[in-house]
Amino acid sequence: MSGSDRPSVLVAAIGNPDRGDDAVGPAVASRLRDSLPARVRILDRGGDVLALIEAWDGFSDVFVVDAAAPIGRPGRIHRLDLAGPAVLDGFARNSTHAFGVGEAVELARSLNRLPRHIVAYLVEGEQFDLGAPLSPAVAAAVEIVVRRIRRELALLSSQRRKEGGAEHA
Amino acid sequence: MATRTLKVDYIARVEGESLLDLHIRDGVVDAVRLGIFEPPRFFEALLRGRGCGEVLDIVARICGICPVAYQMSGVHAIEHVLGIAVDPAIRALRRLLYCGEWIESHGLHIVMLHAPDFLGYPDAVAMARDHRDAVERGLALKKAGNELLRLLGGREIHPVNVRIGGFYRVPRRAEFAPVVESLKRARDLAIETLRWTATFPFPDITRDYEFVALRHPDEYPMNAGHIVSSAGLDITPAEYESEFLERQVPYSTALHSVLKRRGTYLVGPMARYALNRDRLPPEVRALADAAGLDPVCRNPFRSILVRAVEIIYACDEALRLIADYEPPARPFVAAEPRTGIGYACTEAPRGILYHRYRLAGDGTIEDSRLVPPTAQNQGVIEEDIRQVATASLDLDQDALQAKCEQSIRNHDPCISCAAHFLQLRVDRT
Repeated sequence: MSGSDRPSVLVAAIGNPDRGDDAVGPAVASRLRDSLPARVRILDRGGDVLALIEAWDGFSDVFVVDAAAPIGRPGRIHRLDLAGPAVLDGFARNSTHAFGVGEAVELARSLNRLPRHIVAYLVEGEQFDLGAPLSPAVAAAVEIVVRRIRRELALLSSQRRKEGGAEHA
Repeated sequence: MATRTLKVDYIARVEGESLLDLHIRDGVVDAVRLGIFEPPRFFEALLRGRGCGEVLDIVARICGICPVAYQMSGVHAIEHVLGIAVDPAIRALRRLLYCGEWIESHGLHIVMLHAPDFLGYPDAVAMARDHRDAVERGLALKKAGNELLRLLGGREIHPVNVRIGGFYRVPRRAEFAPVVESLKRARDLAIETLRWTATFPFPDITRDYEFVALRHPDEYPMNAGHIVSSAGLDITPAEYESEFLERQVPYSTALHSVLKRRGTYLVGPMARYALNRDRLPPEVRALADAAGLDPVCRNPFRSILVRAVEIIYACDEALRLIADYEPPARPFVAAEPRTGIGYACTEAPRGILYHRYRLAGDGTIEDSRLVPPTAQNQGVIEEDIRQVATASLDLDQDALQAKCEQSIRNHDPCISCAAHFLQLRVDRT
């Protein structure tokens, strides 16, 4: 693969497929795999989230899909622009066992290793039981997240083409 | 009566959930309780009724940081029952797998959990803004260790490739090529990490530990050896329960281990180094000397140096093992199940990990005992805190808390393993 053919977009799906609504990330990844342009790579990440910092090296555009803790409305979708100001604080004082996406993002920001465009889609879960399927509200959110990421990918493609054109003009 | 109480409800930068209760009466520390409140995980009971072939995948789930340790103690204990003697190449691959775990576990602890204490940062994210190179080194060390785990274990976390009698699949020589380059770089990064940690300000404290570690005739210990101590203990793993006792304490979901005859003892890098320094290659000893590490280190705050030395050694040893590697004729040897009791003790990054299994004739697990390093170190951690707090009573609450928490992190406790751990409560009267 030549340098120009290298995938430039990473979709990082976080979660354990066997822990109820924690599987929302893998479920979105599975649906996206059906039809994706060659410039998009999907990454399933169940355990070592800290390794995201290496995983997104070289990608200009990154989408992170993860389950969020229940805060009232299972299936509600939150879109966060992680390249903006820090949205989390005080978390890296936890153990490395509990090192999550937020910690990886903030550590990458401290190290100047955060992609220039990184967006998180977070879906509020309802239950995270061992072996349980997605709860209905979260399952319904999967298709919506897939549609929104596809729409963003199309917009990004158009935007990057314009940027490329401007650079070559 | 003057009472001062320090309560830390959740100890940060340790693996798992724990609290600390410190009670000070009339200027004297009269109670230190390290409370582990993670729910008991019942792994020993969970194993009952399972086939011995399932054990390694189950015990690997006890810890995401040290799954290899659980697999290694488990596999050796079961092979002890079944009378399996593995091919020397299999033995070498298991030692290589352990090297990977030491590199990633020590690398993460030094940079992500322990170093911020010495440099005055609340966490590694804040430290990374001023010490970017150091944090990058830590991440690279973790990555190098994980590459070994991925190659030999099938994946970095909760590896799946170890089986009774060997491995499900053994690598070809050519598969090591990228790992060799990564390990050579990791060795250089580990030396830089040792030199960096040697510049830290270390509190002046000396502790009179009884060190307990494995000792092997030829090797710095990982998978084999007698259990020895600085007070003259020298036993086989099968004799562990005759010398050591696990007991309940009311404030912790983790059992406390003691030497039946002498009480608390220390396991882990400081103990391994104190009892096995002569098993390290001269060049590694020279690096330790140059970093100011005494042959026997009794200052728990300087344990960070020992971990860095052990990373250097693990890189060297991994490179040696890879250079000597010839794939075995078969990836594993099969054996018929049989009744019996098997014992094993291996050196997890945090210290000795004892396993005992009783098998039925069909290979079903009838009974098991797993004693993780953190359960063994809880007593000395409490004693460390007592000594450090006694010398720090003039400090305000926040500074005292920081000092106490650092005393805990000196030993890199893995609470999840032991609860199978921190809130701090200080009560000053």
